[in-house]
Amino acid sequence: MPKLRIEAEVNGRKVDRETEPHKRLLDFLRDDLNLTGTKEGCGAGECGTCSVFVDGKLVKSCLMPAGKANGAKIETIEGLAKPGDLTPVQRAFHKTGASQCGYCIPGMVMAATSALRENPQADIEEIKERLGGNICRCTGYTKIFEAVEIAKGVIAGTVPETALEEDMVDDSFIGANVRRLDAPSKVSGRLKYAADMKLPDMLQMQVLRSPHAHARILSIDTSEAEAMDGVACVITAQDVPGTDGFGVFVHDQPIMARDKVRHVGEAVAAVAAEDLVTARRALSKIKVEYEELPGLFDPGEAMAPGAPVIHDYAQDNLIKHIPVRKGDVAAGFAEADLILEDDFSTQQVEHAYLEPEAGVAYVDPDDVVVVISPSQNISHHRHMLAEIIAKPINKVRFIMSPVGGGFGGKEDMIYQGMLALAAMKTHRPVQLNFTREESLIASAKRHPSRVHYRMGLKWDGRITAIEFDMLSDGGAFGMSSEGVMRKAAILSCGPYEVHNLKVDTRVVYTNNTPSGAFRTFGGMQAQFATESMMDMAAEALDMDPFEIRRVNMMKVGAKTHTQQTLETASLDRVLDAAEQASRWEKGAPRVRGATRKDLNGPDTRQPCTLGARIKKASKDSDESERVA
Amino acid sequence: MLTYDAYHMPTSLEEALTLWANAAEGSRLVSGATDILPWAREGRAGDVHLPEMVDVTRIPDLDGYAFEKGRIRLGANTVYQDFLTDVTLMRSLPCMPYCAIWFADDQIREQASLAGNLVNASPVADGTPAVVALNGEIELARLDGGQIVRRRVPVVDFITGPGRTQIAEDEIATAVIVDACNGFGGSFQKVGQRRSLVISVACCAALVKTDRDGRVFEDVRLSLGGVGPSPIRMIEAENTLRGERISHGLIEQVAQTAADRVGSRSRQDYRREVVVNFIRAALEDALADQPDIDVKFEDQEEQINA
Ligand SMILES: Cc1cc2nc3c(=O)[nH]c(=O)nc-3n(C[C@H](O)[C@H](O)[C@H](O)COP(=O)(O)OP(=O)(O)OC[C@H]3O[C@@H](n4cnc5c(N)ncnc54)[C@H](O)[C@@H]3O)c2cc1C
Ligand code: FES
Ligand code: FES
Repeated sequence: MPKLRIEAEVNGRKVDRETEPHKRLLDFLRDDLNLTGTKEGCGAGECGTCSVFVDGKLVKSCLMPAGKANGAKIETIEGLAKPGDLTPVQRAFHKTGASQCGYCIPGMVMAATSALRENPQADIEEIKERLGGNICRCTGYTKIFEAVEIAKGVIAGTVPETALEEDMVDDSFIGANVRRLDAPSKVSGRLKYAADMKLPDMLQMQVLRSPHAHARILSIDTSEAEAMDGVACVITAQDVPGTDGFGVFVHDQPIMARDKVRHVGEAVAAVAAEDLVTARRALSKIKVEYEELPGLFDPGEAMAPGAPVIHDYAQDNLIKHIPVRKGDVAAGFAEADLILEDDFSTQQVEHAYLEPEAGVAYVDPDDVVVVISPSQNISHHRHMLAEIIAKPINKVRFIMSPVGGGFGGKEDMIYQGMLALAAMKTHRPVQLNFTREESLIASAKRHPSRVHYRMGLKWDGRITAIEFDMLSDGGAFGMSSEGVMRKAAILSCGPYEVHNLKVDTRVVYTNNTPSGAFRTFGGMQAQFATESMMDMAAEALDMDPFEIRRVNMMKVGAKTHTQQTLETASLDRVLDAAEQASRWEKGAPRVRGATRKDLNGPDTRQPCTLGARIKKASKDSDESERVA
Repeated sequence: MLTYDAYHMPTSLEEALTLWANAAEGSRLVSGATDILPWAREGRAGDVHLPEMVDVTRIPDLDGYAFEKGRIRLGANTVYQDFLTDVTLMRSLPCMPYCAIWFADDQIREQASLAGNLVNASPVADGTPAVVALNGEIELARLDGGQIVRRRVPVVDFITGPGRTQIAEDEIATAVIVDACNGFGGSFQKVGQRRSLVISVACCAALVKTDRDGRVFEDVRLSLGGVGPSPIRMIEAENTLRGERISHGLIEQVAQTAADRVGSRSRQDYRREVVVNFIRAALEDALADQPDIDVKFEDQEEQINA
């Protein structure tokens, strides 16, 4: 392949390299120059983890062919400050705690630096606008904006440099603003996530995924791919030496599709090759013959007779049913003055952590299979993998790399097994970095759920009985479904003392993308239904929504839905605080019209408008004919 | 993933045209690459291998802009961020800063060219309605017997459908020529899924000039994007407004008729409703954007007098 020569200045140093012509600036920086502070969160211009300066202008390096770097001056996160030092912007991020998982942070620091370089006097609206191309999934934006404002003041000299130093801690750390120990590694881009790691002689893995939701695999022919120059190995389910199957509760998921595929995006085969391009080209040479099967896409149809069966072991497609019973529901409803009944549904949600799944595996000199990945559950993964690759537990090692956001989505061992198999087959280190699209299609999602709700109430607002029936779409594999249903059942009726309840949560297999762990673990779906019911009950009973909650809240001594007696309870204080903070206007829902006084207070976030700088520019230009 | 065998960065138009004329079949021109790179990904074109890429951004002929008889010739290397940083352009093309501020983000705007946006010819490109409102033409150059020949095509005609234009195989877009609209008020309306980094569901550009008293529409330019395969210039609406006394009632009446121009099959009811609100907001915002003119609505005065 012809080479591309790049002569550039990178972080103040001359660079003269030859590289592949098709590389993006992002690849050139990360792969050729090892400047891995610049990340790839999406590869499509959407996230800003790859922001770098080119000739003084901030750009997204995933959208820039490397050729454009020729003759240019490039500045990356590593070049902002001297080694061991941090810029005021970086120090401000450290100060305010604007670095949770840290994956977005180098890009954020670059965007903040650019905003303040472009306009050192930028007001907060303009700062927000200028950071609009960078997204963060875990810090949230408040601390980031706070940091940019402090840095702005320090740079302009209107705020003393001491503002960047750590706040004093008195006698307790609780409630104190303590800096994160790991923040400097994140704000400087030095922290190595799995995709940033490089081992000598490392292969790149790519995965062939199913285009079908439900199909039998008739044959997989990997011979042509295997024969390609640069391909080290191709693996399929046939390469699994032990007992295949993983999952948080039920081990129903093979490392790669075995005999059939159950959702679009399921791994079918994987290639490890000398480089990414070869691995991708090899994928197109793998021939898979499928016989399509009828698909099951609606959880409501999963338990109907004659529905397609997704897993042989579960002929009724039921992954788990969690029933909770307490008191006498019939008596409770009989006692009610009012019975409300409704249905609630919530949708599938993607975690969208900024770090796509990534990992490295190798076999160490003592034949220990080592997997490095941002797994949220390494011990469990280790035990499962030992079974799958038929090795004693002391020959399997998992190392948790920094997690660039997980939110539950990295609990499932959806790729670590493939890495291990390829490392065992080649005895070379193997790396797999998901693309964003791959992460979306292959990783678990929040369970889409439907709840049928019945609530009996007295005129004074007391709940006499609840019937709560949830049906969740587990998708193609069990993953964390059982735990999620358990949690949904335990939390179902909310923090209210209900003497008579009948709760059922069920989760079923379908051919949709698997559902798994996601922040609140089933609690959100249940609370959406319960809290909506509470508001509707307040409306029906003409009560203040806070009041109806106080009437029913669990207090010390209350029995939870699962009949645990509470020794502490804090809902009263939570409600008081929420009522106060929201400047709640007391009264039943109908008393507030379009003119509610508790809306749009000074601390309410206003809807966004763009373009403050346009007006400013034309005004400034009238004065000086120059614009920043 | 996009791969290619060669990346050329010609430094003169002639060199570029020669490279382009001789490039292997399937090669592509590239400017900011903000359309090409995301296009070659899973869910769109997937993995794509191209023989050659000819980058036009180092061709000095395509840089900068020049005034010519009431028009401005924007070199093909003009990027969206220029409409937010160059005060002369901001004044002369009053709808462009608003178009630009809603376009992608600051970083992508540094790369994304107006010419690339037009040649890419997405039905939801933000640049097309704005350029169409500015009576824009695209200038195309090619080699003919070793000589550079150029032609200009009005942008309304240039874009013939989604992703389809009148550009010939051997041509390079060298400029976009638009009316200088100094003294006009401009606006741009856009709906998308969120604030930054979104492609429009529909968009609308307006340019308005009133008499000195702010009572009569002297000139109006209106165009819509995202409602059909190519941008729509609202000639009838413009004619209805031109020379008329400015009033909310008249604006409303014109806005209502606009809904019938929605051709897109997807989400039609939604787009119809959006378009009515767009035209109204676009005209009102553009009126308010006019430098140093205080607009007086006829029906508002009545109310005050009543
Ligand atoms: C995250 C993101 C957000 C975006 N937001 C928006 C948005 O809000 N609104 C919007 O309209 N677009 C948006 N886009 C799309 C894109 O940025 C624009 O269409 C941009 O203007 C394309 O210009 P470019 O210079 O990057 O084109 P390129 O990708 O370089 O090229 C686009 C096409 O034009 C051709 N081409 C380029 N230059 C020439 C030339 N001189 N002569 C002939 N052909 C040429 C190329 O061959 C290609 O077919 C967005 C893109 C991304 C990734
Ligand atoms: S914007 Fe470049 S990786 Fe996301
Ligand atoms: S800290 Fe921003 S994405 Fe995690």
